[in-house]
This record gives sequence, structure tokens and C-alpha cells, in this order.
Amino acid sequence: MNIKTRKIVGQVVFLILAFYLDGLMKWAFLNNMNTGDFMILPQIMLMAIVLITMRIDNRRQLLAYGIIFGLVYDSYYYGIIGLYTVLLPLIMVGIDHFKFLFVKANMGYELSIYFLALTFLQSGIYVLERLLQQTNTNVFDFITYVLGPTLLWNMILFFVIYVPLANLSDWLVKYRRDSK
Amino acid sequence: MQKFFSNKKLIILMVILIVTFGLLAVTVNIRDNKETPPAVQQVGNDVVSVVGGIFAYPTNAVKNASSEFSDLYNTYTENKHLKARIDELAQNQAKLKVVQDENKKLKEELKLNSTLTDYTTVNASVLSRSSSSWQSYLTINRGSTSGLKKNMPVMSGNGLIGRIIEVDKISAKVELISTNNELNDKFASEILDSGNNAITGIVSRYDSASGKLVMENVNSTKNIKKGQRIITSGLGGRTPRGLYIGKVYGIKKDNYGMTNSVYITPAAELRNFTVVTIIKSSVSGEE
Repeated sequence: MNIKTRKIVGQVVFLILAFYLDGLMKWAFLNNMNTGDFMILPQIMLMAIVLITMRIDNRRQLLAYGIIFGLVYDSYYYGIIGLYTVLLPLIMVGIDHFKFLFVKANMGYELSIYFLALTFLQSGIYVLERLLQQTNTNVFDFITYVLGPTLLWNMILFFVIYVPLANLSDWLVKYRRDSK
Repeated sequence: MQKFFSNKKLIILMVILIVTFGLLAVTVNIRDNKETPPAVQQVGNDVVSVVGGIFAYPTNAVKNASSEFSDLYNTYTENKHLKARIDELAQNQAKLKVVQDENKKLKEELKLNSTLTDYTTVNASVLSRSSSSWQSYLTINRGSTSGLKKNMPVMSGNGLIGRIIEVDKISAKVELISTNNELNDKFASEILDSGNNAITGIVSRYDSASGKLVMENVNSTKNIKKGQRIITSGLGGRTPRGLYIGKVYGIKKDNYGMTNSVYITPAAELRNFTVVTIIKSSVSGEE
């Protein structure tokens, strides 16, 4: 196995771990079902996706990651296919398209990109589910009780685990061309 | 026309839109109307859930340990309370045994094979919770190979927690009773009062602000008192009779003062469990 394949395997394992962490976080710590209106959705996979997208330049590879992980996410967590499957690749292509604007990725940039991606993803899911009558929450309730707390919680988490995650994804993507 | 089809970006956008709505519409339809999802999706979900088990079991262990700590904290008051109840329980158990035997004999006499109260159970452990806002799903590690079918009710410890919504080969999704969904998630139920008059209704909604279940279409509210127990009534054919849902908390009229809703404190602790029980009804109802 050459270094490139090994790096790709590493990236996939990283994304898979983040994928399972989403469900386990929700199940183990944020399981506020009995009382309370607020709904916090952990989006750790999106964090991993944003960090990876900021570092990989190959758009085909990005699209493949987006579609495959989107499909798995939809099928496993939602039971409806077409939410993450479409929104994730869109986000990745969007980030890839505009990332030339940043000379060097730093925490501030990546935090705001993650913020925008999360807002886009959650609003997209809300609009699609509303259209298909999977929910009857109105827009203001969605913003107050779902989007707000979700953004807040995920931003804090991103802030806390940024340094190790960013270093890890640096290491997973970058390699020197001569080291075979 | 030539110009329109030469615009690549417009075509990509169109294809994306068509694919999105096509996929969504098809999968929603399949979920609502078919017993199981397509084979590819089943296999995919099974593989993901098997691998997920590796991460789920340690998490469940931690979860159990943490709930044991809080149990320990409450032990003293609980113990006092339980001691008071224990004599009563022994008496009830003896009585239940006698009545069950009698019931069995009478059924044999009548050549009645199975009634609404008969059911068998399957235990399963929880693998993860859907990180989605409106679909409160749990993934469990049993599927159609264990005899699970769509729409079977699911209990945890002492009360009803939901219903199976998707069955794969070796995993399944449970929709929690706390989901606010227009289409599913309704349980025909009745209130047990001291007299013989059955008060029936449908547990159809969850009030997330107060954490109470709401029972609607109640036929009379005359004898409803706080603290009365609510069980599934077995009408409708999908749920056996006698599954415990919760206790009456209060009655509220709707905004127009037309209908009464009974608010129920759910019996099941909807947070701290790692094992669920699936109820397989012996009577096959409407298909």
C-alpha cells in the first residue's frame, strides 16, 4: 500500500468515527426527551467534513466522500434518503469553490465556514422535511429551539476540539511527495 | 433551445433538484407503505449497525454506570418506599398466578387460542439514537431474523416507549412515543378506573414543553382522576392489550373548549435505558 492509499484509508476511518460519534453523543449525553423544548443535534461528522474539505484539493474525491457518507447518514439515522446525500456534496463543493480566498486556513476562518455550513445544512433539512410533511414545526420554533441551540453547542465543541482535530486532519491529508 | 442545453450549470442544477425530490419522495413512500426497505438499504443499515455495535457497547456500559451512581444516590428514600409496597406485591403475585392459571383453563374450555392480551417478547439493546430533530429514532440490534415486524410496540422497563418503524435483517429502527408526527405514533388506549366503565381514547401527541403524553378523542371525562393508570386497549389490532403507558396527570380543554385532552405522565424513563423489549402480539390484526 503506498502512502496515498494509506492516507485515504485514514481519512475514511476518521469520517466513520465522526459518523458514529454523532449518534452516540445524542444517545449518551444529549438525550433530553422527557422535558425541555430545546433540541441539540451533534454534528461532529460535519466538522470532520469541513476540516477535510479545507485541505483536499481533489474535487472528485470530495464529491465521492460527500455522496457516500451522505447516503449512509440518511439511511442509518433518518430512514429517508436525499437529505444529507444532496446537501453534503453541495456544501463540500461550495467550500472547495471559495477556499482560494483564504491564504492560510486558521481557526477563525474554519469556525465561520463551519457555522455557515451547519446553518445551511440544518435549514436545508428543515425546508425539505417541511415540504414532505415530516414535521409541522413552524419557522420561528425551528430557529429558537433547534437551530440556535445546535449552533451554540456545536460551535463551543468546535472551539474546544479544534487544535487536535485540525492537526489530525492536516496529518491525514498532507504528505511529502518524495516519501513513498 | 440550443442555447438552453448548452448551459451546463443550469442543467446540473436541474438534475440535482430532480434527483433530490425523486429520492425523497420514493423513500418516504417506501417507509410509509412497505413492510421493509429495499434489500440494498437493509444490507447497508445492517453493516453500519454491526460496526456501530463496537462503539455502542462501551457507551452503553458508561451510561449504565452513570445511571447506577444516581440510583445509589436515591437508594435510601426509594428503599423506604419500596419496603412499604413489598407485602402488597407478594400478595398480588400469588393472586396473579392463580388468576392466570384459571384464565388458561377457561380459555382451553372455550377453545380460545389467543386473545388480545397474549404476547411474546424479544429483548434488544440500543445501538444509537438518530441525530435528527424530528425523527426520534433509536437503532436496536434485532431485526426480521428475530421475528420483528413493522409497527410492533416497544417497551422499556416499566412502560411503553414507542413502535418499530423500519425493519432490516439484523437491526431495526424504533420511533419514540415522543415524536410529534402527524401520521404514525398513535396508540389506542384506555384508562383503568375503579368502576367497570372503560374510558377509551388515543394517545396521539407528545407535549414537549411539559414532557407529558396527550390522550385525545376521550369518550367521557366524568370519572377521570389524577393518578389513574392508562394501558393500551388492544383495539386496532397492532398492539396487544394491557401494556402500561403511564398515569393521568390532568385534563385540559382545547382552545375552543370542544374536546378534552388527558395529559399523561409517561411510565417509562425515556432517558436512562440501554435495553428495550419488543412486544409480539399473538393475535394477527389487520394487515
